[in-house]
Amino acid sequence: MTTQTKFGLGLLALLTLLAVVGPLVAADPNAQRDLLNGTLQPPSLAHLLGTDEFSRDVFSRLASGARISLGVAVVAVAVAAFLGMVIGLAAGASDGGLSGLLRRCIDIGLAVPRIVVLLVLLSAIGTVPMWLFALVLGATGWPAMARLIRGETLRLRHAQFVAAARALGAPEVRILWREILPGALPPVLVAATLGVADAMLLEAGLSFLGLGAPPPAASWGGMLLESRSVMAVAPWLVLAPGLALVAATSAATLLGDALRRRLQPDAK
Amino acid sequence: MRAVEDVSFAIAAGETLALVGESGSGKSTVGRAVLRLEEPTAGRVRFEGTDLATLTPRALREARRRMQIVFQDPFASLNPRRTIGASVAEGLEIHGIVPREEIGDRVSHLLEEVGLDASFASRYPHEFSGGQRQRIGIARALAVAPTFIVCDEPVSALDVSVQAQVLNLLLDLRTQRGLAYLFIAHDLALVHQIADRVAVMYLGTIVEIGPARAVIGAPSHPYTRALVSAVPEPDPTKAKTRIVLEGDPPSPSALPIGCPFVTRCFHPAKDARCSTERPHLRPVGDQQVACHCAAPGDGAAST
Repeated sequence: MTTQTKFGLGLLALLTLLAVVGPLVAADPNAQRDLLNGTLQPPSLAHLLGTDEFSRDVFSRLASGARISLGVAVVAVAVAAFLGMVIGLAAGASDGGLSGLLRRCIDIGLAVPRIVVLLVLLSAIGTVPMWLFALVLGATGWPAMARLIRGETLRLRHAQFVAAARALGAPEVRILWREILPGALPPVLVAATLGVADAMLLEAGLSFLGLGAPPPAASWGGMLLESRSVMAVAPWLVLAPGLALVAATSAATLLGDALRRRLQPDAK
Repeated sequence: MRAVEDVSFAIAAGETLALVGESGSGKSTVGRAVLRLEEPTAGRVRFEGTDLATLTPRALREARRRMQIVFQDPFASLNPRRTIGASVAEGLEIHGIVPREEIGDRVSHLLEEVGLDASFASRYPHEFSGGQRQRIGIARALAVAPTFIVCDEPVSALDVSVQAQVLNLLLDLRTQRGLAYLFIAHDLALVHQIADRVAVMYLGTIVEIGPARAVIGAPSHPYTRALVSAVPEPDPTKAKTRIVLEGDPPSPSALPIGCPFVTRCFHPAKDARCSTERPHLRPVGDQQVACHCAAPGDGAAST
């Protein structure tokens, strides 16, 4: 195991601890303690990461936001990767009409800005429970994944080892699963790790527009956007969720890279 | 455009037919079409009496137990993401040849049969040299116990010292397992060692076919004569005339109307008929030759 992998695992452990144990031990994230004198307090022993402009404890909010932000991002990326994999494989492996149809679907999915689709979908649904929010986020993220998988599938289906498998009598589904998919996965893993960061930021933007986690619920993106206006006087309000986002995306990238190396034994 | 046209041959059980020709002559296409890895637009392939084109996908998969292929490029023919053991076991699993718990044993046997260590099964292709990989490819083909193997230039990507080892392995396996080979090659010296019969291809057609001894010893078609004259002669005291062909082969999309070789032919009897009428295979000496002018003994002078 490389140092990078260990570092990634360490970050993941810390974040999981924050998301699982944090909310249990921290104070109520929504309690407004002292609106007169307790707002925008710098970090102290009483408030480890300070307080925000409504005098809420930032650490508590960070911990409860971890559940929403990490949960949404992981579910969204998993959904996007799964849909992208199925559609991309089908598009790359099929011939004729079906292949053309799927390719158009992917192109259309890529052409329409994701944020617009999300705005329309989420405002049409109204009040969105977080699990549905994550699903919607994932359902709009598949075209990029599908394009990657399709390209890799097209490249690999003409590989000589695929011809060898066919000559051995392997059915097409087995060829897709055993010969092509393992080769098509590495770029998808890279895209997925980047997608985790992307999903968190999208969630942040949508929360800001009132379409994500509704206030007063905390999410890292939401916290980041709320604290924008007071950044000059209370930088810890930006730093706490910002560093948490950096940690989460770093963990995803490092672990994705480790996984890719594992799946790609010939690349060093 | 036609890559291959007018190609017809038969291979008996246990026999080795070599298919020789320069790059782009269509030898590999023929090899793949024989296994139906490429669908020919016309023509038939009969294997053990059955026309492969009439088989259902299921029956074709079943038939593929008995015919296999060894590829030219040992680096492209093994899946880099799968262990050697998984690749060799593929055929065993697909056809359920041995019970699941015996697959490991069988893979070890196969690896040893091709001269590799059984412990290699858990390693990945990138850890092996070209010659070793080619042996792995051979083990993978042998897993399903075929009676016929298309060897698509199996040694041309290897170092010369390794070529001989892999060739010897193929010869040994032929004796032990009674295999028939379609041996595709561009090196006549190599073909001489392995083939019972030789077919020479030029621009997608067979121009000469017959017993190896006859085709290589007394080539009749001008193209075969040129090929044979290019084989290096180890004996320096032996006189040797090298026939050097002029020009390049014509583009396969604009073939001459008559004999495909007419643009480069040096035969003294070449006449107008050669550029208007396509020659078909006809017996000349012990072999079949597609040339209007070739006569028995033509090649004797050139070797």
